[in-house]
Amino acid sequence: MVKPVVRIEDLSLEFISQAGAFEALKGISLDIGEGEIVGVVGESGSGKSVTAMNILQLLPRTKIRVPTGSINVLDHDVRAMSEKRLQQIRGGEVSMIFQEPMTALNPVLRVSDQINDVILRHKDVSALEAEEISLSLLEDTQIADPRRVYESYPHELSGGMRQRVMIAMAFSCSPKLIVADEPTTALDVTVQAQILRLLKERAEKTNTSVLLITHDLAVVAQLCNRVYVMYKGEFVEEGTTQDVIGNPQHVYTKALLNSLPEGKTPKSRLATVAAAMLEGGSNDKVIKSPVAATRIARSGDTVLEIKKGTVRYPKDYNFFGRPITFHTAVDHVSVDIKEGETLALVGESGCGKTSLANAVVGLNPLADGEIIYRGKNIKDHDPETRREIQIVFQDPQSSLDPRWPVWKIMTEPLTVGKSLDKAELRKRAGELCEMVGLEPDQIDRLPHEFSGGQRQRIAIGRALSVRPKLLVLDEPTSALDVSVQAQILNLLLDLQDEFGLTYLFISHDVAVVRHIADKVAVMYQSKVVEEGDTEQILSAPTHEYTRTLMNAVPSLEKAFAA
Amino acid sequence: MTEVKISRTAGLLGGSEGRTFSWDKIRQVANVEIVIAGTLFTIIAVIAIFGQFLQTHDPMQGDLLKRFTPPGQEGYFMGSDHLGRDLWSRMVDGLQWSMACAMTANVLNLLIGSTLGLLAAEKPGWLRIIVNQFVYTLQSFPGLVILICVVVVVGQGFITLVLTLGLLSWVVYMRVVYAEASSLSQREYVQAARLAGVSRWAIMFGHVLPGVRASLFVIFAFHFAGLLIAESALSFLGLGAPLGVPTWGNMLAESRQYMIRAPWMLVVPAGAIVTAVVTMNLVGDGIASLARKKGPSIDA
Repeated sequence: MVKPVVRIEDLSLEFISQAGAFEALKGISLDIGEGEIVGVVGESGSGKSVTAMNILQLLPRTKIRVPTGSINVLDHDVRAMSEKRLQQIRGGEVSMIFQEPMTALNPVLRVSDQINDVILRHKDVSALEAEEISLSLLEDTQIADPRRVYESYPHELSGGMRQRVMIAMAFSCSPKLIVADEPTTALDVTVQAQILRLLKERAEKTNTSVLLITHDLAVVAQLCNRVYVMYKGEFVEEGTTQDVIGNPQHVYTKALLNSLPEGKTPKSRLATVAAAMLEGGSNDKVIKSPVAATRIARSGDTVLEIKKGTVRYPKDYNFFGRPITFHTAVDHVSVDIKEGETLALVGESGCGKTSLANAVVGLNPLADGEIIYRGKNIKDHDPETRREIQIVFQDPQSSLDPRWPVWKIMTEPLTVGKSLDKAELRKRAGELCEMVGLEPDQIDRLPHEFSGGQRQRIAIGRALSVRPKLLVLDEPTSALDVSVQAQILNLLLDLQDEFGLTYLFISHDVAVVRHIADKVAVMYQSKVVEEGDTEQILSAPTHEYTRTLMNAVPSLEKAFAA
Repeated sequence: MTEVKISRTAGLLGGSEGRTFSWDKIRQVANVEIVIAGTLFTIIAVIAIFGQFLQTHDPMQGDLLKRFTPPGQEGYFMGSDHLGRDLWSRMVDGLQWSMACAMTANVLNLLIGSTLGLLAAEKPGWLRIIVNQFVYTLQSFPGLVILICVVVVVGQGFITLVLTLGLLSWVVYMRVVYAEASSLSQREYVQAARLAGVSRWAIMFGHVLPGVRASLFVIFAFHFAGLLIAESALSFLGLGAPLGVPTWGNMLAESRQYMIRAPWMLVVPAGAIVTAVVTMNLVGDGIASLARKKGPSIDA
């Protein structure tokens, strides 16, 4: 075994609040050897970020208590170090890359000032030498025009560029260890692939150890030598990446891998972590037996047809406040969906997929083109028919009124134009709860008393209350953990089976799309570049962009093939 | 960790199991500030409501033989003024006058300001432009100057004073309600309601207004203090309450000549104004801190 750069032994940690202590870490031990890339995988709240922050002692000392354990960085006990000594280590021997480069960089300083600041603080060089070092660092991160980036402000750079700058900064003082906390979660898949490759390359070249914190098993598989799986403040499994992912031992790891849609039969039910951990007593209710053959026969009629749909947003205004130039978010897009079918819109952030979804439900007006619903322009339909199209938003936190109890949220659409009494509404809410797999006796609770997955169920229940025919799902699982994502995907498939719903599914996640969609339309720079049957498009893409996308998607299979 | 914290504070302010009153819950959210504010506010409210029973003398009836009696002597709890009238009883009268004036004007402000704010936020177009431009114009003058000009024209008296304050100082409500309602109406739950066909009014009263409610309470308290000062200032200048009515501003004005000889004539109304204003500011802070505690449970 090589000499460890970091050794954590039996570390426990509690957060202290007025409500009492909360145990975040329960006696974890971790080793990172020289030049090793180690991953820590877990869901939100499992304690993985706390572990990372603790190595650099970044948690407020008054708010935590550490009953047992030690943290050694390069054979020094960081818990015994003075704040001054810690400052030398931070950014010097150990540096950090954060999830969101926009907030990690100072928006009012140029990139040059920020990199030079780090170098001048830790190295004995002149300002001119620092500039030289900075430029060569930027060059090392494969930035085409280092001089331009060097002189830019963070907002002038794209997300990927910013993360490259962060990497350059992290490597600037030849650290022994880099702690990367979800470094690619905020980025698009194609950019993620580049950044991960870059990180690995730089680490190998400089023999730097990396601690990678992530929720994404595929990212770990692609990058890490060893992996620790974290669940509720404990490492439940550790080992080489090959072993852990190829041959998981712990029930949680197995469940986590099973809940990924990748490699599963499309439209099959995914195993859920909750079910596995409770060993049978699951709260993930099966609404109907998941037999694909029992599907409702579909008429095959076209439900929705978008003809040359165009959405524009005003960009500049003239003196009188009238818009004069426009940004085209959706550019003459034509797609159609047949009854009972799922059409997925796939694309990166900013490609116009959400704008199109909003246009379908009527939140954005079309600048050009038309949307035909059941053979008639959507504008000519009466409000009652338009309610057959409902939407489920990405973030269930912001899509539910925090002050309303669940029964009121779910039945709000029912109160339109009708006066139903409270008892009737509550009864309907109970039925809707059962439909989406919530306990009917929870209808008096407020949204914050539920978990993210349960909140998304509430949002789906609300959309279902008016018996819609077409459901627009705008990234319904991206704000959720993988295991919860599996539950929601199961629910959506069950509901489609039961009620013959038609879905317009917006997503950036190719694995999810492959699992749930019949047809897929790939959007790139406001246009649909490719459209067709899911399997065909994803396995044999013809357009340049789709190919790039498919190559960039991190996948377990690909990682092992390599 | 956050889960624990949330359920703890959320219970008091409308969780499903938290609708019942209990001292335990009060103790959880109470702090020194809130306790002081609450106590002072209760005392002021009691004096304002039951003032008639607490007065020891007729506030208008003087006794020239007992002019300038220092506090605590000859049955004058707070001393007497230059005409031998009881300062305590006059102070109580002034309290009732000021409170009634500020409260009525404040309610008028609240109604006008929040209605215009809501309408401007909900209905883009000419209404928004006109309201906003009017507010900018109003804001570009110093508040007291406008009030003085108007009062000089329309004359003195309780009704005119209340109407002047009530119709001219609602800007703060409008600005806050407009800003908050604009951001609330972009929330996804409001959009979801709109898509479900819920009417504009139902959204306004169901989602938007409850969302700005906490802020309205806070402004109500702070603005109350502002109106108290404005009313006293106008009275002091001889423009508010008619001459002879025992308001704090009038009492202050009368005390000017006798400041050296009978300093208590100055201290009593000045102290009353300071206490009332500080109390209302503390109440505002208290409500704000309660709303903050409630905050994470809703908007985190």
